[in-house]
Amino acid sequence: MEIKMHFIPAEVLAGMRTVDKINMIIDSIKKNIIVVLEEGLTPQEEAELIEATMREIDAENFHGIEFFRVDKRNKSLREKLADKIAGRKSGFMIVGPTRMIEEIKKETNYVVMLARVDELCRINAQNAEESMTKEQKK
Amino acid sequence: MFNGLLKKLLRVLKRKKVIKLGFYGPVNAGKTTLANRICLDWLGTEVGRVSEIPHETREVQKIENVVVRTNNGTLRMNIIDMPGIATQVDYRTFMEYGLDEEEAKRRAKEATRGVIEAIKWLDNVDAVLVVMDSTQDPYTQVNVTIIGNLEARGIPMIIVANKIDLPGARPERIENAFPQHVVVPISAKTGENIDKLYEAINKYLT
Repeated sequence: MEIKMHFIPAEVLAGMRTVDKINMIIDSIKKNIIVVLEEGLTPQEEAELIEATMREIDAENFHGIEFFRVDKRNKSLREKLADKIAGRKSGFMIVGPTRMIEEIKKETNYVVMLARVDELCRINAQNAEESMTKEQKK
Repeated sequence: MFNGLLKKLLRVLKRKKVIKLGFYGPVNAGKTTLANRICLDWLGTEVGRVSEIPHETREVQKIENVVVRTNNGTLRMNIIDMPGIATQVDYRTFMEYGLDEEEAKRRAKEATRGVIEAIKWLDNVDAVLVVMDSTQDPYTQVNVTIIGNLEARGIPMIIVANKIDLPGARPERIENAFPQHVVVPISAKTGENIDKLYEAINKYLT
């Protein structure tokens, strides 16, 4: 069983426009890749991501995304100021296809991501079949 | 942050006689049940259809000129009942409720358009009721995204902890998750605490 994940560093994200970030996320997710952003999207970007996801949904292949931004809740003014000085915008973010991810949630000291194992097996089998077909055509 | 404060200040200066009050929240939180409750109380009629099937509301519904009288005065509002916000729409979910495949796919398509429409409306509302289901974990990404967007735009909001009539309701979880905002526990279905909500709207959103 295979799970592919892309980790995107904050410095790469800093050089990207919102539209590019969203396209990169959607493209990866449609290839069944889970994306971890070192620095999460802003709430406005999240809303744009949801909008873009809704436009891409098709009945057969793509049913949407699961995502979770890990931020400390209710930061004090001092913590907000420290973030500002350090140039930190938000915590990391995990985004994945709803087909593969059952749930992402934050526990006290860690984040839990539950994958749909049966669906992962189906995706791997599908990928293997596609590779074989390509080989045979060659 | 300063942008938000500036918007709040401008809002106070431009205080309107009739507010556009948007109802936002995840799917099946009871937004239309609440809109129906308010309209039944003040217009004498219900306006939207509710059901246990997700995405029953797939288009924005506008109810104009609702006049609510509270102990602290009268408030006039146009209610905008939004489709529920979701990050996924799978037509097979609707088939579990007995819809045939064609109908389920059509409903899924309409649901995706509804989510987009609701997000677009964020720029057109004066104030918002964020409706959450008190029986569910409130700390979901959809709730966080909605609240984050309202904060960033400086739009005043009240969180409505709905469904307190149900046995598993724990509105205190919502209060703990979003302590920086006013939370009013209610049951839109039975009308419990609805007067407290009207008072809160009058106090915090007008």
